[in-house]
Amino acid sequence: MSITILTAYDERPDGAGELVYRAGGTDLQERLRTTGATPHVLDLTGVPGFAAVERTDAATTLGAGVTVATIAHDLAADYPALALTAAGLATPQVRTAATIGGNLLQRTRCWYFRHPHTSCFKSGGEGCPARDGRHLYGVVFDTAPCVHPHPSSLAMALMTYAATIDTTQRDGLGVGDVLGDGSDPSRDHLLADDEVLTRVTLPPPAAGERAAYFRSISRFEAEWPLVEAVVRVVRDDAGTVTSCGVAIGGVAPVPLRLGAVEELLTGTSLNDDTVSAAAEEATRGARPLPETGYKVQLVEATVREVLERVRS
Amino acid sequence: MELTTTVNDEARVVEVEGTESAVDVVRDRLGLTGTKLVCGSGVCGACTMLVDGEPVLGCLTPATRLRDASVTTVEGLADGDDLHPVQRAFAHHDGLQCGYCTPGFVVDAVAFHDRWRAERGAAGAAGEVGKAGADGPDRETIAEALAGHLCRCGSYEGIYRAVAAACRGEHDDGAGHVERVDAPAKVTGAAVYTTDVVLPGMLHAAIRRSDVAAGTVGPIRFPDGVVGLDVLGDDRRVRWAGQPIAVVAAESLAEARRVARELVVPVTPLDFVLDPEAAVRPGAPLVYPTRGERKAAPSAGEGGSMPAPWDGNRHGPSRSPFLGTLAKRRVGAARAAGRPGLVELEFHTAAQLHTAFEPHACVADWTDPQHLRVWLSTQGVDLMRHAIADRFDLDPTQVEVVAEHVGGGFGAKLSLTTEATSAISLSRLARRPVRLVLDRHEELTGTGNRPGSRSRVSMLVDDDTQAVRALVVDTDSHAGVAIGNSVAALSMLLYERTPRLARDVDVVTNAPPGAPFRGPGGPTSAWSLEQTVDEVAHRFNRDPIGLRAQWDGNQKRQALYRWASALPTWERRPATGSQSGRFRRGVGVAAGNWIYLVDPDCEVVVSVEAGHLVASTAAQDMGTGSRTVVARAVAGVFDVDPSAVEVRLGRSHGGTSHGPASGGSRTTVSLWSTAVEAATSLRDRVGTDLDRAPAGASATAKRGGDRGLRAVPMTMNGIQVGRGFSAALHVTEVEVDTRTGKTRVLRVHGGIAVGRIHAPVLARSQCEGSIIQGVGLALYENQVLDPHTGLTLTANLEDYRIPQLGDTPEIDIHFHEEGWDRVPGGGVGLGEVATVSPAASVGNAIFNATGWRPLSLPVRPDRLLEGLRTEVTR
Repeated sequence: MSITILTAYDERPDGAGELVYRAGGTDLQERLRTTGATPHVLDLTGVPGFAAVERTDAATTLGAGVTVATIAHDLAADYPALALTAAGLATPQVRTAATIGGNLLQRTRCWYFRHPHTSCFKSGGEGCPARDGRHLYGVVFDTAPCVHPHPSSLAMALMTYAATIDTTQRDGLGVGDVLGDGSDPSRDHLLADDEVLTRVTLPPPAAGERAAYFRSISRFEAEWPLVEAVVRVVRDDAGTVTSCGVAIGGVAPVPLRLGAVEELLTGTSLNDDTVSAAAEEATRGARPLPETGYKVQLVEATVREVLERVRS
Repeated sequence: MELTTTVNDEARVVEVEGTESAVDVVRDRLGLTGTKLVCGSGVCGACTMLVDGEPVLGCLTPATRLRDASVTTVEGLADGDDLHPVQRAFAHHDGLQCGYCTPGFVVDAVAFHDRWRAERGAAGAAGEVGKAGADGPDRETIAEALAGHLCRCGSYEGIYRAVAAACRGEHDDGAGHVERVDAPAKVTGAAVYTTDVVLPGMLHAAIRRSDVAAGTVGPIRFPDGVVGLDVLGDDRRVRWAGQPIAVVAAESLAEARRVARELVVPVTPLDFVLDPEAAVRPGAPLVYPTRGERKAAPSAGEGGSMPAPWDGNRHGPSRSPFLGTLAKRRVGAARAAGRPGLVELEFHTAAQLHTAFEPHACVADWTDPQHLRVWLSTQGVDLMRHAIADRFDLDPTQVEVVAEHVGGGFGAKLSLTTEATSAISLSRLARRPVRLVLDRHEELTGTGNRPGSRSRVSMLVDDDTQAVRALVVDTDSHAGVAIGNSVAALSMLLYERTPRLARDVDVVTNAPPGAPFRGPGGPTSAWSLEQTVDEVAHRFNRDPIGLRAQWDGNQKRQALYRWASALPTWERRPATGSQSGRFRRGVGVAAGNWIYLVDPDCEVVVSVEAGHLVASTAAQDMGTGSRTVVARAVAGVFDVDPSAVEVRLGRSHGGTSHGPASGGSRTTVSLWSTAVEAATSLRDRVGTDLDRAPAGASATAKRGGDRGLRAVPMTMNGIQVGRGFSAALHVTEVEVDTRTGKTRVLRVHGGIAVGRIHAPVLARSQCEGSIIQGVGLALYENQVLDPHTGLTLTANLEDYRIPQLGDTPEIDIHFHEEGWDRVPGGGVGLGEVATVSPAASVGNAIFNATGWRPLSLPVRPDRLLEGLRTEVTR
């Protein structure tokens, strides 16, 4: 038997050898094709509640198998920052299949990692060949040994909601607890091998929330971001920001929530000066690689873009 | 696991592996080959199928998801012969060329169409079209809905037209006029490509490739029972990462790949060089250390390499002078004097990959030791028949090459390459048919590219009149291990017969080999020359079209200058550098030029079989429309609809002894008049009442050369150089986002002067495609190698970025049909000339918009932001 369609997260086949969990399969199937590997697949789609959206007054809970398309469509009114981000990633067919759990835990999109003949920290080897090689799409906040940014756009948006994540072994983790800070370059996330992400919980919707998402790319769409940014704000009647969340992706080992930018914007109106100051603040601490200097300017541009969009 | 699934309304039981994807089951297990596998990574959408009505990617959808599901593939969309309105619309609006991406587009477009009309209460039969649906979806809506699809031929304009028209209900009753005669086969998935061929007892082959950029390879021992073959040359050298070393065949593809992967290959790595600048420094590792090795260097040009001297890793220069010494002296003097009339610029281009959506593929079958049948995805069935016969020491009559449909080529399928020689050899060894199909990673690594380059252009004009006084162009081409590039030489053919000098040098490195790519050298040459011309115009405040018209002796291009000058897009062109906002629009122009080639040995047979017309030729159709051209030529003579003519091509034994290859823009000009002549001769004999034609009535015609009008009095490899040049002009409007560095091409007017157009809808599609490929060259496409290993990093369609539907500008194609009356049929080929100038026109438009001239390709956001920054501080 090469596959078990799980009906419970902790179900295990006997003596199956190498195991791999599968949700939507949009990352896994491509890697299996490239490597020719034939592990035993533990398919999660049969677990009860895997794709369920549960809403209460206190929270909204998304099963790990809720698709990106569902988020983009069903959460557009209540969680616009998350929904706009979901709508802006990949292609319609991928969004139909890909899940929130898989999006958070997907492997890096670095072209060295995906190449069948290279070896790096993340493919079980040593070192980062991109650092001394080509890294045009690499990080601009060079804070960890691996130089490719984390690919999860949803993680970036979830950070702005301070969403929590449950696994089969732990409850109430923050996005940062799951993704780490990149200091262990062999990991895309910090879950144990037999630990499964089960649920993502969002706080209740914020009344009057407005949001914007923008991804800087070279073509029309369906391209990994050079830089992406999301903002959610709540303003009072006078237009003063009472709360906000700002995060950026495509720039660092994990998506960055920009606390200093949020602080700078809270209590002000989103005028040209505060937008400029916030966009500039977003680049603070940037440490570009030889080929990613352009991303400093692009971080400022992309944050400016979402702030201008959200106030209009 | 065993699962039950309903496919196209039929219950099927299949055994699937846990790791398998839906596309593998549908194609390989259920034999529904209409669904195509192209990228394997969820980017291109060619494998899209409907599962419970939802479009899903066959390559990323686990096969287990088909359990108890209802699956619809492209074969299941039509109701018998009654096509879905979307299929009819694709056929009518020619939303396809090679057809390889078409099934995926059509399946997804059907889902979009059905949903769009259902939402507007217009999903019913004809006549029920709701008011809201009357306008159809706009381009952006269609682009977003179909963002998960790519088309390498660039049929996006036709796809937009087709989807919108179908949504408007225009094809509820029928397709209407369909010019492409094989469109019905392509929109239903019935068209058979080499990758779809399955023979009883067939083995699958895989290639073991080098993962080092240079090395010496020891003897390879194949495990017992493995059918394997060493494909390295006698020198035992590998010269680029990805070069084939050995091939193996096994009962399944997975098994063949495993065996290839685990093969023990003793490699001693050698020093290598990847950077062209490092390659010409003293002491650089030599790619070809000996004279014998140099002789075996592959050619990136069409029709072989001109003899030129070698100096280390430099091969050349090949000179194309006209008073070259005087040109050099004038440029030198002008430089010393600081003359404003001297414009000197240096340009760089990046390697552009063909990535035809049908990969290189071959199925070889020795029917007996003296007879070989080869299904091959090729641009020349007859060319390959002879090449294979030569290689395997057979008589050409003993070899049959078949390519019923070809999923694109763009120049990369014109020679006998590893997939064919390996499949043939393995089949002989195994005494069984052998199939070898490259995957996308292999396609995007080493099956050829339009080489990168560095060009230095010095153009000297008179300070007062701007008459050209001298032109010197030096190009170093970077075709990896390949030589034979001709880029600078093409710059000599357009403007004024003044002193000029072109020097072409190949700088060889341990990078994958270049290969001929649509208009070899043309777009590269235009990128530098046409921007230099634009710079001259800017410096002297001259109209860039008017300046070219002053210099240009080509009457056909003169007509295009008049057409372009009157375009509203051109008339409202802003002054360069006059804009200061975030979004800046600009308009650029660039001219193209190409030689006229014809195949004088081309033959066509027209016959009557059981009362209907059959035309046969040993040509092939890779989406450029040769099948349609022949049908229309014959139909015109008999005054019948082209669909009444059965065209048999795609077989080297198709009833003629020779057919033209699809390359060098020579196919249509060779086929059209030959088909007309054969048909006319048959009609003169049997009349037009075909039912009364004698059994076996047939007539054969041979093209022959253009009497007295040859530029070069000889024929080589079925090519004769005819007299005169075809011409093109592209006027392009862009919008530059100075904040994010993104350039959008908004509008392109393409003027093409190739004389009479024999299939106007198809000709337009091909010209639109050349513009879209030019947009890719200008803005996105770039093969990237790891500097430490030479491995290709951009070996998938996510990282190798080709234009999407949403990147398509609005395109207007204008054919100038005069000026070729001396050629039989009155027109010449357009595939190459249409592809020369689009990228250069984008470059000039960016300059007009921003005042910053992009010298390096592609103009990615990082380059544009950097350029604008330096422009501001300058």
